[in-house]
Amino acid sequence: MIEAARKAGIVIPHFCYHPALGSAGACRLCAMKFLEGPVKGIQMSCMIPAQDGMVVSTTDSEAVQMRSLVIEWVMLNHPHDCPVCDEGGECQLQDYTVAGGHAIRRYKGKKRTHNNQYLGENIRHEMNRCIHCYRCVRFYQDFAGGDDFGVMGRANLIYFGRKDSGVLESPFSGNLVDICPTGVFTDKPARFRARYWDYDMAPSVCPHCSLGCNTVPMARYRELLKTTARFNDKVNGWFICDKGRFGNDRVNSPERPRYPLIDGERVGWDEALEALVRRVGEVTRQYGTESIALVGSPRMSLEGNLLLGQLAACVKAGLLSYFIGAAEGEASMAASLLVGEKSRSMAEVREADCIALFNCDLLEEGPMMALAVRQAWRNGAKIFLVGVSSPELKKLPFEFSAVDLIDEVPFAGCKSPVIICGTASADISAVRKAAGAPAGVTFLFNAPNSFAAAMLAVESQSPAVSEALAGGKIKAVIAFEADIPADLPVGVELLAVADWMPTDVGRKAGIFLPVTSHLEMDGTFINNEGRAQRFKKVMNPGLPIKGLDPLLHPPRVHGKTPQGGDVRPSWQVIASLIERFGGERVAEPLDGKWAALRNLDPEGEGTRIS
Amino acid sequence: MIPKQLREELLDHVASAVTPREAAVEVMRALQAFYGWLTDEAVDEAAEILSLSPLQVEELATFYEMIYRRPVGKRVIHLCDSISCWSAGAESMMAYLRKSLGIDEGGTTENGIFTLVPCACLGNCGEGPTMLIGETLYGSLTPERLDQILEEEREGVRCLDN
Ligand code: SF4
Ligand code: SF4
Ligand code: FES
Repeated sequence: MIEAARKAGIVIPHFCYHPALGSAGACRLCAMKFLEGPVKGIQMSCMIPAQDGMVVSTTDSEAVQMRSLVIEWVMLNHPHDCPVCDEGGECQLQDYTVAGGHAIRRYKGKKRTHNNQYLGENIRHEMNRCIHCYRCVRFYQDFAGGDDFGVMGRANLIYFGRKDSGVLESPFSGNLVDICPTGVFTDKPARFRARYWDYDMAPSVCPHCSLGCNTVPMARYRELLKTTARFNDKVNGWFICDKGRFGNDRVNSPERPRYPLIDGERVGWDEALEALVRRVGEVTRQYGTESIALVGSPRMSLEGNLLLGQLAACVKAGLLSYFIGAAEGEASMAASLLVGEKSRSMAEVREADCIALFNCDLLEEGPMMALAVRQAWRNGAKIFLVGVSSPELKKLPFEFSAVDLIDEVPFAGCKSPVIICGTASADISAVRKAAGAPAGVTFLFNAPNSFAAAMLAVESQSPAVSEALAGGKIKAVIAFEADIPADLPVGVELLAVADWMPTDVGRKAGIFLPVTSHLEMDGTFINNEGRAQRFKKVMNPGLPIKGLDPLLHPPRVHGKTPQGGDVRPSWQVIASLIERFGGERVAEPLDGKWAALRNLDPEGEGTRIS
Repeated sequence: MIPKQLREELLDHVASAVTPREAAVEVMRALQAFYGWLTDEAVDEAAEILSLSPLQVEELATFYEMIYRRPVGKRVIHLCDSISCWSAGAESMMAYLRKSLGIDEGGTTENGIFTLVPCACLGNCGEGPTMLIGETLYGSLTPERLDQILEEEREGVRCLDN
């Protein structure tokens, strides 16, 4: 009934019901008056399937009173202290308490109190705020397959936690923060740093692996404070993994390069770009444009990687490359070529009836894929692990049978079989094998935009950087967000690097160009499945206020950008280089066949491009 | 550690259950009978026997009020304080037990014989006030009957000890 009402645009208050976890009938907040149909009177709407002919009222006075009493009852033991609770402002309990009209505490007895547990550096536990909706344990054990967190005791002693204090073991533990409707679990690094209305936030896409889970990063004062999950039915569903949620440090890192540099000296953008053009000219005069290498990256946005092709044409570069290692490049290119119609989304994996894990370490290469496989397994799918299993793999949150060869997996007779194949350790023959088997395929790559990089590499027939460098012809390397090894061959005379992360090769660069991270710009990633997704700018770039020397803040230097904020998206840097090399002005990076992606809805499901 | 034979018996029992979890209560009771209460070590042993995590055993252990996660006396008195027994005078029975044993609810007598706990409903509502000691259910309690029962139970413990 809750879902039927939602479809009709009516929100029924609820705590324990969650679309991914189902109904529990535990909180009693979804009470409605059933006026006509097979059941009558006050009923829990999460427990009654909607039927034709039912007439149900949310506003009936008896239902309204029931809900307000439920709230008062739920608040018996809950502290009345939202102003000092980190959840305040983004708390379902607070909202419904206000909505239910409970403002004055009538209960004069003692509140039940609990000791909290240490759950690790990411999640803070405050059991006194629990309202016994059971969402946490249903997620942790049933949905995610964890076994070190649960519910103990009974009645007023009920306790949601671990047997003993200690770090939560599930790689999906951070979802407790999102699904607890009150402040029992809060994001520890972000605690008391901001209220909900203070955050800079926007729809974004996780950059930590190739699955492209949807997120809402939350920032304040140019510091990324926390990352939460955003619903996308086709991709991650409701949840994200802990790697995606708690991997916030690198954006805020004090090590992040923030200024253009020539030979280590801070310069302005114009100076740096001019120097780059000049030095490329010098190398060209001596060795020809054949000696110039442009390197894109599977972690750079589609826009940047696309324009890099134009820049390569402009300077007539001898090499345009998107991958460092030959094996990764080959496997990724093959996968992007082969997958086509057979590509399966995470949603389709959740619905599959037979899944083969081939050449991959799921929890390493795409943790949310393991959660998707678990849902298929819970629905009865058979799971096969092909090849040798390392002891690490035993931690997978589902049961599987081990087989030696992919041909042994009984795909025949299955309605929706899927092979999940990694490309990190796979050689190209494994990729071909996976694509050739009678099943859908889901490849895992190692970066958020590997698929796009692979498509572009296929189009331009680019070899991997390592091969070209080994050949000795390359004298100038211009790399954008690329993880090339820092020990380049001696023959390379010019190294220019654009990046937002501090890398060894960046520190060695003669010309360094600081760019924005994906949180400080709009852009597009294409995930492992071939789904293009738009991410929006979350925050302004610049040194986070936290960490600035208080004596030097505010800076008494007049300028239009905050300290360290004069960084640009890679695609814009590439666009201005195109102009400086005599090419046409780029107003819109998504052009030609990519123009269709211009209006990609950042809050939609994304678009499959192959 | 429990003796090998008990362990094997329990493993057999688990193997014949439809799901291991179903056998959890039996296993916990057996371990409790061996140790006197369900010690931390026993929780870990039960988890291993049942192929559950220690937390999952703890969930069950703390749910059932006749599984003891703290040391208890040799005889645990569960006196019902639910509504039928309460209206039949359970409160005064509790007061009488407190006085004659010299302990509060949750406490254990110094000689380690009795632990006193309230419980909610023993399914003997027709004969309130009711209490359970070990596997024996006592109904229609009066102070005189309590004296007599306590003496019999003490006697039972003495016989066992000898
Ligand atoms: S801890 Fe949160 S999610 Fe878990 S039962 Fe309590 S209120 Fe619900
Ligand atoms: S599975 Fe990958 S994309 Fe999804 S949240 Fe985790 S790291 Fe990010
Ligand atoms: S949502 Fe229906 S009882 Fe909680």
